[in-house]
Amino acid sequence: MKITIDGKTIELEERKTVLEVARQNGIYIPSLCDHPRLTPFSGCRLCIVQIKGRKGYPPSCSTLVEDSMEVVTKSPGLQKLREEILELILAEHPNACLICSEKEKCDEYKSTIRKVGETTGCVLCPNNGRCELQDVVDALKVDRVRFPSLYRNLEIKKSDPFFDRNYNLCILCGRCVRICQEVRGASTLAFAYRGSQAVVGTVLDKPHLESGCQFCGACVDVCPTGALSERALKYELLPEEKAVTICPLCSMGCELEVQVREGRILSTKPSDQGVVNQGQACVKGRFLIRDIVHSPSRILKPMIRVQKKLEEVSWDQALDFVAQRLKRYKGREVAFVSSSQTSCEDNFLFHKFAREALKTENIWNPAGFSPLSLFSEMVRENGLDSGLNFRISDLSKAKVIFLVGADLPVSHPIIWLELLKAVRAGAKFILVSPIAYALNRYAAKWLQVKPGTEYHLFNCLSKVLLGNEEGEKADIPQGLDALKKTLAEIDLSQSIKITGIEEEELEETTDLLMSAGPAAFLFGMGLAQGQNSSAGLAALWNLARVREAQIFPLGLENNLRGALEAARNSSAKGSAFNLAFHAALPADIKALYLTGPLPGLEKTKLEFLVVQDSFMNENTEKADAVLPATTFAETEGTFINAEGRVLKFVRVIEPQGEAKPDWWIISQLAQKMGKEDFRFKDASAVMKEMSKAIPGFSKMLPASLENDREVFIEEEVKGEKKPVLPLTDPPHAVAGKKYPFLMFLDYSLDYYRNLNLCQEIRGMSLIRDSRWIKISPEDAKKLGLMDGEKLAVDSTAGKVAGLVKISEAVPQGMVVASFLWNEEEDFSREKLFSAQGNPFMSILPVNIKRGM
Amino acid sequence: MERERKEFMVDQRELIHILHEVQNHYGYIPPQAISQISRKLRISESEIFGVLTFYKAFTLHPRGEHLITICMGTACHVRGAPMILDEFKRKLGVEPGETTGDNQFTLETVNCVGACALGPIAIGDGEYHGQMKTRDVDKIIEDLKPKKGKSAKNE
Repeated sequence: MKITIDGKTIELEERKTVLEVARQNGIYIPSLCDHPRLTPFSGCRLCIVQIKGRKGYPPSCSTLVEDSMEVVTKSPGLQKLREEILELILAEHPNACLICSEKEKCDEYKSTIRKVGETTGCVLCPNNGRCELQDVVDALKVDRVRFPSLYRNLEIKKSDPFFDRNYNLCILCGRCVRICQEVRGASTLAFAYRGSQAVVGTVLDKPHLESGCQFCGACVDVCPTGALSERALKYELLPEEKAVTICPLCSMGCELEVQVREGRILSTKPSDQGVVNQGQACVKGRFLIRDIVHSPSRILKPMIRVQKKLEEVSWDQALDFVAQRLKRYKGREVAFVSSSQTSCEDNFLFHKFAREALKTENIWNPAGFSPLSLFSEMVRENGLDSGLNFRISDLSKAKVIFLVGADLPVSHPIIWLELLKAVRAGAKFILVSPIAYALNRYAAKWLQVKPGTEYHLFNCLSKVLLGNEEGEKADIPQGLDALKKTLAEIDLSQSIKITGIEEEELEETTDLLMSAGPAAFLFGMGLAQGQNSSAGLAALWNLARVREAQIFPLGLENNLRGALEAARNSSAKGSAFNLAFHAALPADIKALYLTGPLPGLEKTKLEFLVVQDSFMNENTEKADAVLPATTFAETEGTFINAEGRVLKFVRVIEPQGEAKPDWWIISQLAQKMGKEDFRFKDASAVMKEMSKAIPGFSKMLPASLENDREVFIEEEVKGEKKPVLPLTDPPHAVAGKKYPFLMFLDYSLDYYRNLNLCQEIRGMSLIRDSRWIKISPEDAKKLGLMDGEKLAVDSTAGKVAGLVKISEAVPQGMVVASFLWNEEEDFSREKLFSAQGNPFMSILPVNIKRGM
Repeated sequence: MERERKEFMVDQRELIHILHEVQNHYGYIPPQAISQISRKLRISESEIFGVLTFYKAFTLHPRGEHLITICMGTACHVRGAPMILDEFKRKLGVEPGETTGDNQFTLETVNCVGACALGPIAIGDGEYHGQMKTRDVDKIIEDLKPKKGKSAKNE
């Protein structure tokens, strides 16, 4: 296809809109409502062009190119029309500064006068300098507005966390409404009212907190004016530099554009070039990074305990002290706690250090408790044919999606966006969850299973699919006779009763499951938390065999894959030690080295405690030595995301205080302990050794990661596609008379190393407070409980406190708690679950009552 | 309301239809209805809010027993509709869009009812009164009131 724009001949293969083609060829057409990720809207009318042979002035954003089309984008007529359209837009937008003849000289003063409440011109606008409307006014050189100016005097909304909404500045381009609906699937924002009253808003004008908002910030990012503006940027000047790095706050690995001024992070935005996230992120990556990196809890200097007090010392002194003391302990007397939130290089050195310098196999690895390790253990033990790697983009090709145990918009936001695309393209989405998450709206079938009984549900589904002896359902793969025979022993109506699902729903679900096309089975922490999680997972695997589906195991931490890979290749004792360690600190351990959070630690048994972290918490108070580590923003390295993709993150600011990267601290310490092969000059040097030592990391070389973002962890997949048998039917937690409620954990990864984000950042605590105990409105009414009241939770494992949060998402007879620890010890859930020896066993019968 | 709703297919295209039913049944759209419809039809509450505020047929506040609508179209306007409206406002003690304290009368304005030759026009509970004079206002209000007595007895 060949078209001409302004006399320039352009050849193209795909059919695109005129505006897209013009942009790609460097031809500027002003536009305010169009956005590359949204469907054309033709609302602002600024992108009008002339096309030979067509009447009038079609908008280029919604006009598709045709062969031998002749387009004119600049002419006196178009300029006049556009000016007039822009003047109409400006009539309802504060415009004094936009058209002011003195605006060039105003620059020096604007930061000081921005503190007024109302925005009546650009100098008072939080988005000054970041505004697309300003750019368009400059491009069209509009210097007057002939229409009377109208200020709508709408209330400025400041009650929500992270951003303000000032609809007096809104030009009704609808980008926020469309991105919320089309891309994020939340539909929190909509156009309300009509004509001159039209305004963007939420249901009944409620705050975003009460309207199902995820606070992903996508609306703020697409807003072409200051109507939606990030509150933290309000008094900030423009950034001096921008750098691109990887977010460490979940397993997606979103690429973030970090804005820096005077060595400080101003803001982070999802990068449009992000190979995983493509311009999207979530509340954590978008709004929390700045507050995390510049947190007042940061540890800035090395400290050692001198006569019962922690004192700041030099790095040399601190390292000498730690090295001398650690030399006293050997083997079983010392243990190391690694972190899945640090880089692959760090994790590799943690293991090397424990093995070679501490001479211990006691390395506790938090990756040991995750859907990933559960899955890979099952695969290894049974000789199955499956790896952990997948591609998020595979999801949008799926025609059947079966999701168990994850609130994706919160835990895996980018996977959620891909799933939404698949659902919009007609995929059948089946959801298994006891909780009424917001995403249930998109499910073709929502199976509200009782927590911990998924095992029975999957077996029933497999049984129905495999059919009875006489008739088999079509398209069932061969070689499942053994499974069929085993399932024949299951009494369907008995089994299904346990799950709380109606028998008719099974038929409905299997019909959906057998829809044509590839199937994807996703599972998250929700499935991994019952006493019978491995049995549940085996049943899911069998169901996936019957349907011939790919399984996507979804872990939580940013570098869980990397940490798991490093742990697998180490001689650490693995899960047995993990279990014992989690239940209680083994008695023979005298010295402990922490690089991650370990709530509820009892110092009394320990002689020596080292904390290497970026943030102060209760454990740093107990420590004998505190070594300040940098955050991800001040160092470089690699993370491996949920897909198994290797992502390189880079240093965007100088280290805060005297903080040093984890790999540096470990290698210096090892050298002080007399280990000479810890001489690494930078993270790349660690990577080189790591790629030789660990087969999974063999493709990770500094040179190949420079430009290639398609490097994946190496996996050896061998084994059979066979069902896991025999089936075991372990017990599941049931509510009883003494403990009439089932407590279920809400897995949202709201921590970064020692920092509980919900406690540190006020905005976050409004969205998800880690102290909340969510309860259904019906149960709250029965018990006479109000939002925010203090609640006592009693169970066989112990007592914890919580704050009442009434939520319609929670079914009757259940309460939902965060799995995060808390600074106020009363509220620390971790204690409750580790008391059972296995954090997987986190479905717990409890009783609740007011007060404490 | 639940029963009525079951008669509809659970189809997002039925939204306006359902809103009409709710509006007819309650005289307005209660906030709980928005959440219920949202769950049934799987449309976000904000989107439902967007639709219902777009149409004048739906209201978020209870309307009075009787609805009085004054045409403010061009023809009615030049023939003295503002004076008629003022008279209604004074007699009922409410502004357009408001409802009297006893929940009996709601006063509304509309931009044309298409009967310009008869202007100025007032509509009382669907009954058109053409060529209105200010002295007719009392009569319309009084005529509507007996109905109120009846409905009070029915309740």
